[in-house]
Amino acid sequence: MAKKLMKGCEAIAEAAIQAGCRYFFGYPITPQNDIPEYMSLRLPQVGGCFLQAESELAAINMVYGAGGAGARVMTSSSSPGISLKQEGISTIAAAEIPCVIVNMMRGGPGLGNIQASQGDYFQAVKGGGHGDYRLIVYAPASIQETVDMMQKAFDVADEYRTPVMILADGLIGQMMEPVELKTNTDYVPLAKPWAATGYKPGGEKPRAVLNSLYIETEDLDELVDRLFARYAVIEQNEKMVECYNTEGAEYILCAYGTVARVCKAAIRILEEQGVKAGLVRPITLWPFPSEAVHEAVAQASVKEALTVEVSAGQLVEDIRLAVNGVKPVQFMGKAGSRIPSAEEIAARILEMRRA
Amino acid sequence: MRDYYVLLGGFGSGKSELALNMAVNQAREGQCMLIDLDVVNPYFRTSERQDVLDKAGVELISPPYSMKKIEIMSLSPRVYAAFAPGEGTVIFDVGGDHIGAVAIGQYNPNFNQIPPEKLHVLFVLNPRRPVAADPESAWALLEKVKGVSRLQVTGLVNNGNLGEETQAQHLLEGYELVKTLSERTGIPVWGSCGTQTVLKEFKSLAKEKGLEEKYIGRMYPIEILMHRSWEKFLKEGL
Repeated sequence: MAKKLMKGCEAIAEAAIQAGCRYFFGYPITPQNDIPEYMSLRLPQVGGCFLQAESELAAINMVYGAGGAGARVMTSSSSPGISLKQEGISTIAAAEIPCVIVNMMRGGPGLGNIQASQGDYFQAVKGGGHGDYRLIVYAPASIQETVDMMQKAFDVADEYRTPVMILADGLIGQMMEPVELKTNTDYVPLAKPWAATGYKPGGEKPRAVLNSLYIETEDLDELVDRLFARYAVIEQNEKMVECYNTEGAEYILCAYGTVARVCKAAIRILEEQGVKAGLVRPITLWPFPSEAVHEAVAQASVKEALTVEVSAGQLVEDIRLAVNGVKPVQFMGKAGSRIPSAEEIAARILEMRRA
Repeated sequence: MRDYYVLLGGFGSGKSELALNMAVNQAREGQCMLIDLDVVNPYFRTSERQDVLDKAGVELISPPYSMKKIEIMSLSPRVYAAFAPGEGTVIFDVGGDHIGAVAIGQYNPNFNQIPPEKLHVLFVLNPRRPVAADPESAWALLEKVKGVSRLQVTGLVNNGNLGEETQAQHLLEGYELVKTLSERTGIPVWGSCGTQTVLKEFKSLAKEKGLEEKYIGRMYPIEILMHRSWEKFLKEGL
């Protein structure tokens, strides 16, 4: 398909449709409104259903229903709206229902602002909702990458029967870039024998029950064990990371999403000044690519690592866990939605070099 | 008597870019008032370029509280000043699609007072945008926009572009789109927009391909003031 000039939100919505998503339930919030807006226009054209729910809580529970019936379903929101959805996300994870959730992060805590932010890292990666569960979390750095990721997000959700989150920021959502949408014509939907599609007494198919309530301790244990056995497989198979210029680097920058893109520009500035810096960019925030991070930072050539984020120190915790003390890991971050410039990041590395 | 330009079109079709350029150009010749009538999208509005407009001497009328990072979907009472007797040019930059165009419908009684030769209602098209990319969907959007705006479109604008990757090829695609739409609706093509470089290429391409003048209209050079490349974004945020 020829390149189109698309806003991130529109591109995500279209890519989801191309990936087979036919159901969208959401509630408006800036800066992701263009996703439901686009879905409301496009889904009826492809025989799907768009529904603006009365609240985020209702929307996420509609996702539970559609996903439970075996449909490819998506919802999207932005930070405060994602907070409202957390109970439903925990329930969906417990009921083992595949779905895709997009979070276009904005400034927080509270209502925060409508600028881009990365403040929901902990929420996405460490739980957000209650109980022992995980989300697969993808963190794209450009509109094109987000678009390319949508198919995978839906496929992986179906494969592992788990909710998947696309954790982007307002910048990805609102920026307009030329993108190429690839229509996947050889996609074969996965059979979902577990889906609740109706029960016929005396029929061949047993009654499908999707549930998250397990009163007996043993039953709940069994569920959590099953989930964590699956998470172990996900950790084995689904980690994604980009290592840029890391080999033999003196300094390693660690960042995800749009900030990683700024880091690349900082690396070019440092190169001009004769400093070799590299970037480790986790593309999946969970499962976290700990080995790749460790390997890049533990190299003999590396003096220090620097984590850059638009939050007050969240990603840095996982980076430090991965690095496990073999090298110092410094932190550079600003909450309140201020994205550091390439010059500022380069200056910080030069400062570390002088110290 | 003032000249009135109303810019309608799909969301992200380049209305604000054209509005800003027209305002800056018109201000060189006389009084110019630019009205930001977008109450749909809090980002990317002409009001963001207050600095450019101030420098050019354009009077800007924005929705109350716009650019204050909050969304109050209301219109300034100062919009009515545009319909008072005066000289120069008034440009209305309307929100995208039929959803954004609703805002201008309420000024119908005022527009009815303007003689037809003074009122130019332009419909901006970019075939590389997803929603109104082909003649059928562009026509459907045009009809919807006409309905809610309560205005008759007097000219089509070819604004074929792909952001920073724009080439004359995109204007050529736009040519085909506006030509088909013009033939179907009888609405003339007002012009084709692009940077100086792209227009120059398009000119030779038009000659080579024997494109019809009437579907090219005027070649309207624009300077990129609105579109945010990645770098601009990083400096200015959302």
